[in-house]
Amino acid sequence: MHLPDGLLDPITIVVLWIITIVFMIFGYFKMNNLFKNAESDRLIPYIGVLAAVIFAFQFVNYPIPGGTSGHLVGGTLVAVILGPWASLIVLFLILVVQSLFGDGGITVLGANAFNMGIIGGILGFYIVVLFVRLLNHTSLKKEIKVTLSTAIGAYISIVLAALICGIEISLNGIISIQVAVPAMVFWHLFIGIGEAVISALIVYYIYKAKPDFITTEAIMGV
Amino acid sequence: MNRFIEKYKKTLLYTSIIIVLLIVVLAIGFPLGFLSGDPDGLERTIIDSQGETWLETLEAFWYPILSWIENEYIAGIIGLLLTLAIAIGLFNLMKYLRNKRITRTHGS
Repeated sequence: MHLPDGLLDPITIVVLWIITIVFMIFGYFKMNNLFKNAESDRLIPYIGVLAAVIFAFQFVNYPIPGGTSGHLVGGTLVAVILGPWASLIVLFLILVVQSLFGDGGITVLGANAFNMGIIGGILGFYIVVLFVRLLNHTSLKKEIKVTLSTAIGAYISIVLAALICGIEISLNGIISIQVAVPAMVFWHLFIGIGEAVISALIVYYIYKAKPDFITTEAIMGV
Repeated sequence: MNRFIEKYKKTLLYTSIIIVLLIVVLAIGFPLGFLSGDPDGLERTIIDSQGETWLETLEAFWYPILSWIENEYIAGIIGLLLTLAIAIGLFNLMKYLRNKRITRTHGS
């Protein structure tokens, strides 16, 4: 879902840059909680590793039937682990590194961060929160609730991000909205399955190996 | 230095294990062809609508400075290490700025 340079019209590029910058500045002040506890010194190397893991997963394209491939975006996954605001910063810096290799454009970094960090990460996280609260009425274990909700949140957020991306690329008038949106959503209905499975597996693994690395339990209300 | 290693022994150990695992996955994934070379969802949508050559003629305002690395395996490892370094540096900087702000607030 990495938009290349030259695909979006200038107004869309500027608007999405502004929205992304505003969210990142707001997020910087909102994520102070991440650094409040004494353990935060130990958390930072793990944040680095998590960013590297997401970079590696975005590099790995898994095959989708029909001559297409998909890769993990990881926005919802990072948001569940570190919180929605930190996830936007992490996704943004991953996109910056990828753009150095030509994977995604530099002028459209704002748009890519909007799609994968704000829709995929922040919105995805609040979908997870919604489902966790619904599952709180069941007798499921905490880690199962969060794992299932992560899968659902990751899936929905990827399809939504694809829908928004379809609208963005149609705004330049080259590809019509009637073509771009259904095609983007169709392919991401399949790609989203991979996103959901990988995100859920990683969250479940963290719950088993290092549960205190999930820093958002209080926000999720689990 | 020894004190630093002692303090972060576990963290450093886990970090090294995960990085080595990722490098191994990338190293095995490319030669085995497990990783798909097909276009992703966005590229597929553009190619189906405009054709592959149109996608290649899109004009960029800049030249990606690391795109000369053609070997995907090497690019993956460099990108991985770069991401790790930038993320740790950036979050340490944010923590430092936060602490500085708090100190200044308490001082005044």
